[in-house]
Amino acid sequence: MSNPSMNRLLLIAVLAVAYVGVPLLFGGNAYVLGLIVAALTIAGVAVAWALLGNLGGMVSFGHAAFFGVGSYTSAVLAMKLGVPVFAAMLLGGVGAAVSSIAMLPALRLRGPYFALAILAYAHIFQILTTEMTPVTGGAGGLLSIPRFPKILGFDFGEKLGGYLIVLTVVVLAALAYDAIRRSTWGLALKAMHDTEVATRVVGVPSTHLKAAMLVLSAFITGVVGAFNAHFISFLDPDYAFSSGWTVLPIAAAIFGGYRTVWGPVVGALAIYLVDQLLFKPILPHGHQMILGVLLCAMILLSPGGLMPALRRRPVKEGRHAHA
Amino acid sequence: MFELTLQALFSGLLAGGYYATVAVGLALVFGTMRVINLAHGELVLLAAYVAYAAETNYGVNPVMAIPVALVIVGSASAIVYALLSRIRQDREINSLILTFGLGIILTNAILSIWKADIHSTSDPWFQDSLVVADTLFAMNAEVASFVGGLVLMAGVWWWLNHSWQGRAVRALSSNRAAATLMGVNPRKIEILSFLIAALLATFAGFAIYTGKTVFPALGHVLTVKAFIITVLAGMGSIPGVLIGAVMIGVIESLTVTYLSASLQELAGMILFLVVLFVSPSGLFGGGRALAR
Repeated sequence: MSNPSMNRLLLIAVLAVAYVGVPLLFGGNAYVLGLIVAALTIAGVAVAWALLGNLGGMVSFGHAAFFGVGSYTSAVLAMKLGVPVFAAMLLGGVGAAVSSIAMLPALRLRGPYFALAILAYAHIFQILTTEMTPVTGGAGGLLSIPRFPKILGFDFGEKLGGYLIVLTVVVLAALAYDAIRRSTWGLALKAMHDTEVATRVVGVPSTHLKAAMLVLSAFITGVVGAFNAHFISFLDPDYAFSSGWTVLPIAAAIFGGYRTVWGPVVGALAIYLVDQLLFKPILPHGHQMILGVLLCAMILLSPGGLMPALRRRPVKEGRHAHA
Repeated sequence: MFELTLQALFSGLLAGGYYATVAVGLALVFGTMRVINLAHGELVLLAAYVAYAAETNYGVNPVMAIPVALVIVGSASAIVYALLSRIRQDREINSLILTFGLGIILTNAILSIWKADIHSTSDPWFQDSLVVADTLFAMNAEVASFVGGLVLMAGVWWWLNHSWQGRAVRALSSNRAAATLMGVNPRKIEILSFLIAALLATFAGFAIYTGKTVFPALGHVLTVKAFIITVLAGMGSIPGVLIGAVMIGVIESLTVTYLSASLQELAGMILFLVVLFVSPSGLFGGGRALAR
């Protein structure tokens, strides 16, 4: 499994299936496509969360803040200022990144302090959004947010178009995560995770690197939030800042393995689809309980996630075969 | 105007009483295990719903249900401890995520059993008003839980300072290795801190059910609030937590009186962030020991 060219081949094959196979198979099935789009939306946030958690060493319980700020920034820009939707989506990411700058002072806080400070931020942003009625429409929310446009006759406002957009966002986010992990930055961040003081002594600007991870994570989450706003064409503060945008991605990232690049994506697809298709019909109220159980079980039984756990097995069997 | 302010200060003071009981539990557990129990607010909520179930299903006065709630919340707290103590690698991150997950389980269990409706006691005595010094109004329940909370915290404070086990809790908080070498069994003391936290949580749950309203999403809010208070107090002494709790209570009630009820949570959080950035070790110094 450590063979890089094998991994690249596998990645290309999966991407081919995602870009060609899925549209061919489910292109006409709006229900299935809708589910996959929602799962990929979670996957995008999960990748952003994992990037911050793994590389930055910070647990965030406030990613709903970035999701909400991104979605509102983009929706307001497109509705009030007539910014083209694709540009607005990227600016939504920028908006979330800017909002994360307000959190930079929290970076000098460690562990639980950071996690709870970011949770407080999420509440603050939600309250501010609700109170800024002239811009955000207040608790009533925003209706008929512009959808994605038609380009060269292909309607990106439809389910299939939305699928291709969110897929691209998630793939780019995961590739960026991978690239950073392999870079000297990634190495420095990993060293920082082991001993922060020693890393600083040899001249690594650890706080700057952590700040960069926070801003990047916020940017990705904001873009995903903005995508979602234009895809469903509706927003209100309770929805945009819902704790679901924090809980599901964490469960997905932990389930898939947040120290791997594709684990969060696989985790999001698995968890969201199982949650919607299996648990929601059984337990219409409180089906998130199962996510909680899953989260606890993973932390206790396989904290590295499912992907590494599955990966370990073939190696062991190989050793047995040689012995 | 003056009377309004005075009333706001009084209501804030009363609210601070039960906020403090929630926060002391959180701080005790943090002291012995270095873990923020993100399911702590849900334990409080669980107690409140036991009171609700006792009152609506069996027609029992909520106060009579306290022993049952103690057993239930105590067991839940012990389960949280049992699971937490199994974590070996990346303890800091994983224990946060684990307790976060446990909080989700509890909230949703409550949601699926009792639905999302808002509940409060139906016993009129609790909500009868009480006039203090001719001008200040409070509900019986608010005053009762304020006084009860003070007595309970004084008890815990005395216990921490004067009993062998209480001193062991403090020893473990300040230096784990040394305490273990001096013959403190860390596991016993950790369990004890979780049980005391459960006792305080049960009391707080009854205070909220009789004096305020309960709904499933409240647990999360309480955890954050308790954390804010312990940060204000610097995870320090019980009197410090009490002052922090009263500060939050007063700021909230002033915000509700003079600005808007929807900004209530915002005020406390902004205070929290300001304190965090100006003086991360809290307002009352970097004390780690619980009783001082």
